[in-house]
Amino acid sequence: MTVTQLLPAPATPRRNFWRGVLRVMRRKPSRMAGVAIVALFAFMGLFGPLLYPSPLPRDDNALYAAPSWAHPFGTDFEGTDVLALVVTGTRYVLLAGLATAVITVALGTGIGLLAGFHRGRWDTVLMRLTDLQLTIPGLPLLLVLSTVWKFTSPLEMGVVLGVLGWGGIARAVRSQTLSLRERGFIEAARGLGLSTRHIVGRELLPSMAPYIAMNMLIAVTGAIYAQVGLFFLGVLPFDANNWGVMLNLAVFGGGALTSAAALPYLLAPLLAILLLTLGIVLVVDAMDEIFNPRLREE
Amino acid sequence: MNTVIRRLTGHLARGIAMIWVVTTISFVIIRNIPGDPVRGQYEKLIEQGMGPDQAERATAALYGFLPTGSLWDQYTGYLNGLIHGDLGQSLSTPGTGVATLIGSAAKWTVLPVLGGTLLSFLLGVTLGVYAAIKRSGKLGDALAISGSLLHGVPQYVIGLLVTAIFTTLWPILPAGGPVDISFEPGFNAAYIVSLVQHATLPVLTYALASYGGWILAMKSSVATVLGDDFILAAELRGLKRSVLFRYIARNAILPLFTILALSLGMLFGGAIFIETIFNYPGLGLLLVNSIGARDYALMGGTFLVITVAIVVANIAADLLYAVIDPRVRTGGAA
Amino acid sequence: MRRLAAITVTALIATVTACGGVGGSADSGVYTTIDGAKQIDATAPINPFNPQGNTFLGYDAMTLAWPKNDPVDPNRFYPGIAASWTVTPDQGEVVIHLQPKARWSDGKPVTSEDVRTSIGLAYTQGGTAYAVDPKAAGSAADVRVVDARTVKVTQGASKSNLFLRNVLSTVVVPAHVFGHLLPADFWTTLKAARGTGPAAEKAKAQITGLAEKVISFAPAKDVSAGPFTLERVNPGEALLVRNKHFYANQNIAPDRVKVLNYTGNQQIWNYLISGSLDSAPFTAVPTGVLKRIRETEGNEVVKGFSPVAVSLAFGQTRKPYDNVHVRRALAYLIDRSQVTKVASPEAGTPAKTTTGIHAKSAQAWLGNGIGELDQYQVDPAKAAKELEAAGMTRKGGKWAMPDGTPWKVEIHVPASFSDWVAAAKAITSQLNDHGIDATVLTAADYTLYLDELAAGKYDVGFWLMALGPSPYNIYQRIYGSANGWQLLAGQLTHVPPGTQGNWMGGPEIIDGINPGALTSRLNAANPDEQRRIVGTLAKLTNQQLPVIQLYDYVNTQFVSTSRYTGWPPADSDVLRLPAGVWMQLGMIKEKAGS
Repeated sequence: MTVTQLLPAPATPRRNFWRGVLRVMRRKPSRMAGVAIVALFAFMGLFGPLLYPSPLPRDDNALYAAPSWAHPFGTDFEGTDVLALVVTGTRYVLLAGLATAVITVALGTGIGLLAGFHRGRWDTVLMRLTDLQLTIPGLPLLLVLSTVWKFTSPLEMGVVLGVLGWGGIARAVRSQTLSLRERGFIEAARGLGLSTRHIVGRELLPSMAPYIAMNMLIAVTGAIYAQVGLFFLGVLPFDANNWGVMLNLAVFGGGALTSAAALPYLLAPLLAILLLTLGIVLVVDAMDEIFNPRLREE
Repeated sequence: MNTVIRRLTGHLARGIAMIWVVTTISFVIIRNIPGDPVRGQYEKLIEQGMGPDQAERATAALYGFLPTGSLWDQYTGYLNGLIHGDLGQSLSTPGTGVATLIGSAAKWTVLPVLGGTLLSFLLGVTLGVYAAIKRSGKLGDALAISGSLLHGVPQYVIGLLVTAIFTTLWPILPAGGPVDISFEPGFNAAYIVSLVQHATLPVLTYALASYGGWILAMKSSVATVLGDDFILAAELRGLKRSVLFRYIARNAILPLFTILALSLGMLFGGAIFIETIFNYPGLGLLLVNSIGARDYALMGGTFLVITVAIVVANIAADLLYAVIDPRVRTGGAA
Repeated sequence: MRRLAAITVTALIATVTACGGVGGSADSGVYTTIDGAKQIDATAPINPFNPQGNTFLGYDAMTLAWPKNDPVDPNRFYPGIAASWTVTPDQGEVVIHLQPKARWSDGKPVTSEDVRTSIGLAYTQGGTAYAVDPKAAGSAADVRVVDARTVKVTQGASKSNLFLRNVLSTVVVPAHVFGHLLPADFWTTLKAARGTGPAAEKAKAQITGLAEKVISFAPAKDVSAGPFTLERVNPGEALLVRNKHFYANQNIAPDRVKVLNYTGNQQIWNYLISGSLDSAPFTAVPTGVLKRIRETEGNEVVKGFSPVAVSLAFGQTRKPYDNVHVRRALAYLIDRSQVTKVASPEAGTPAKTTTGIHAKSAQAWLGNGIGELDQYQVDPAKAAKELEAAGMTRKGGKWAMPDGTPWKVEIHVPASFSDWVAAAKAITSQLNDHGIDATVLTAADYTLYLDELAAGKYDVGFWLMALGPSPYNIYQRIYGSANGWQLLAGQLTHVPPGTQGNWMGGPEIIDGINPGALTSRLNAANPDEQRRIVGTLAKLTNQQLPVIQLYDYVNTQFVSTSRYTGWPPADSDVLRLPAGVWMQLGMIKEKAGS
């Protein structure tokens, strides 16, 4: 924001932009809800572990307890509050999701930009690489990899998921770059003799930023699912408050799909996933309209 | 026509190169998986309650089926086999060819995947048009959001929910397996009904999991078409709404066919969750089991089939794209 | 497009209307069950030598006799293809008398020649009584056909008291189907292979070289001497029909048997809740699910003895677990009944103490001796004393290594065993409560787990033990190859820790006792000597704690009284045998009026 104050000239369009954001948000209250949900998860990720004592308290006499005021989602196999597990588990899930998203988007955007901007031989090589990445069956490979490699930190997880997932974004960014190239202003910039770095950094990236941001959010959800799914299949290291581990233990250990006793234990992480998805979907919907005026209705 | 053939040849060459690279990568990873398959099998039998002597008897001879020789020799041998159409011998079902195992599993993956994808394609495309036209209305909004949500929710979540609902809470469908054995296989009513019953939940899950994507894709495609001049022209000509609807739908659906081809290819790899949840004996389950049993040849074979499916789908999508978009057909693509 | 939509709708309607009567839909005369030993693979051959083979023990695959589920004596059996047998006291000679009425499903009689061929085929697979190596303990030296229904099997010089059990568990296959797999000179080759010198080596290679051919052999159809014959199989189920030539056909109530496939326990739970299984083998069941299963009409739980226990095993070369005081301290801190309650409330009983033996067998083996052992009741004070004795230090409420570095207990389990994961989690929670920093680490699958365990990568891991009833098998899990003692060609050697799968890494001699040598003695010892050895080993195990016994498994089986009656009672000695054997013994009867 300080930058905006230093440069008074673009301040007006910026203010208009925020006004536009507000207008878009206000038109559909669901979008506000989306922002609120995402904010809630961000809060849980940041401060969740501070809200509960560590280690989490257990109650030997209340294994798989039914939901109550004290335990809104019941307790797990050890008598630990399920809600507390979901809340404290948010950090790992979000962190791994973010790490993946950053790596996915950085790799995808970088490679896409490079390929689209340089065209020619670079393009061919990079696009072959992209094709290869898109051809490798990701989930099966992850299953095999998990026996070779232990994913202990969220970052490691993010690197692997990111390396296996950048292809789609790279392709999209490349075609965006190609189409932007065709428009006048890049040619004009070239004509002015501006450096490549300037053109990419100042002209290309900003016009694609919203698109990239949306992809980033979608990548976060994708990463969370991939990760939770792998934990659910039981191939990733155990962590009692990981959502996927909870799903796994609820289904395979507690029989949540078969008996009602462990159902809340299953439902809590499922609801968390659904809610987070809903939040992100609503936010992306809002962003879509803010940045894509074509969809905006007059 | 010539360009199409040249295009196809280029695709095939690249596709084969791609398959070779993926095969090599997967070969290296697979052969580096730690774990002794025979020992694993032995302890597994013990865990299932078999006595140590009996378990030893059941596993001792498996050593003869382990791959021998240096990694390089194994690799060249494997490639040589592949060129001759030989995927090797299974270790977990010793004496059975990998091709046989994959062949029998493939049909249980292909049919539900096809059924589910087509079902969701039809539904999603139809609703997507409404979502685009009525995007200011409540219905369109709800459709779009539900589409995004379903698109966002992972397959396994839908699979788990569907199972909980239809086999536990309201048990009207079988919980797993491909078909009831009591019926004579063949073209008779009882057998087919049983097949359909068992396939319903996997198909439903595939359909639900991908339907959201179609709504979204169709919606944005329609939005593009709506901007095109010929719709305006049609409107000016005062065409009936239903005719207009068909106009829009027909033009907007074309780009989706390429996505359809791609997603069919991708679904082969994604069948793992659904087949695990429904005990459906397809390729995904085969792969999971082969990893557990350290059945190297079977793992490699399943990997290969999944890769080939993706490559073929890519080629098909590209050709479709060429047919649909005349600008590409003339060879002016980047 | 509209037409397509119409077709889709019609198809959906057809599906929904077709969905009547799933669940409990078993028609009369059909018996539905599950084979706990393997998952069905429809492409596998109908061949009992194939690990995935589509033959089902007790239904269409028959052994000479069926072992009783006895807590102590491995040599008690129910008759199978063998109607009776005699054995010399040292088990040197076993004479088998076949069922006089036994016939294959194609009408041909079951003869001594079938048994001899089956034994020949078993030699190609190697192991136990049919090891080609003459020095291997308890291998057969000679198989002789006495008459059409009598076979004599002689044990080699290196004797084992498991010989009878191994001979009687031979699966019998028809010589007229499988016989051609053995070359004409097979028995001469076998004799040569049991000699010495290069000729023997060559003969040995010839015999083991047959293994693949035998495993891969796919008969066109099932020829069974059991109560049923395989009719067809698909990836989800196998269907067997009555073999009207079966020698005790009058005992068999169902006309058909359906064996359902499963990929995980939860499928078995679902089958049970829908009431579609007549019986199901041992399955781990959470309490909530058990309640649901019981709610289904007719379902009953039958519990019995299961000679398996689970333990926490130590890598004894890794610090600080090389110190017995640390192991004892952990034993004093782990609340076994709480662990059992969390992990396996229905299929486990907390271990009374660590003896190496399942509590039920321990009673018989040790008698009152069990009371003299340390019970390792939860006692934080004793644990603290033990830790101090090991030189561990306490810093800010946390225990640390003698040199002051943090002590992190990492408990390893395979991720796919949810009861072990729960147990490990419960243990770490308890240890954390007592100031020991403990975490659970999972391996992606069991094969990987075993590999890393064997490579000595783990400090502490879960380990199955007490695999009775044979005392040799029981102690072989603690003082066998996992702990450095290897029995090769009848010769016992001890390899240093960290090599050849010796991950436990315990000392070879403790207090003048060589537990591995004693364990190997159990193989040949007479009952009195066995009792003495078991007493010594139990005491040693209790003091040294190479493992901490956590809980003993309980065989939890399910039967349904809706369609059949006459189920074996709780603790029956047939409980670990397939239901097909129950039928052979005349147990299962169709319910009147169903």
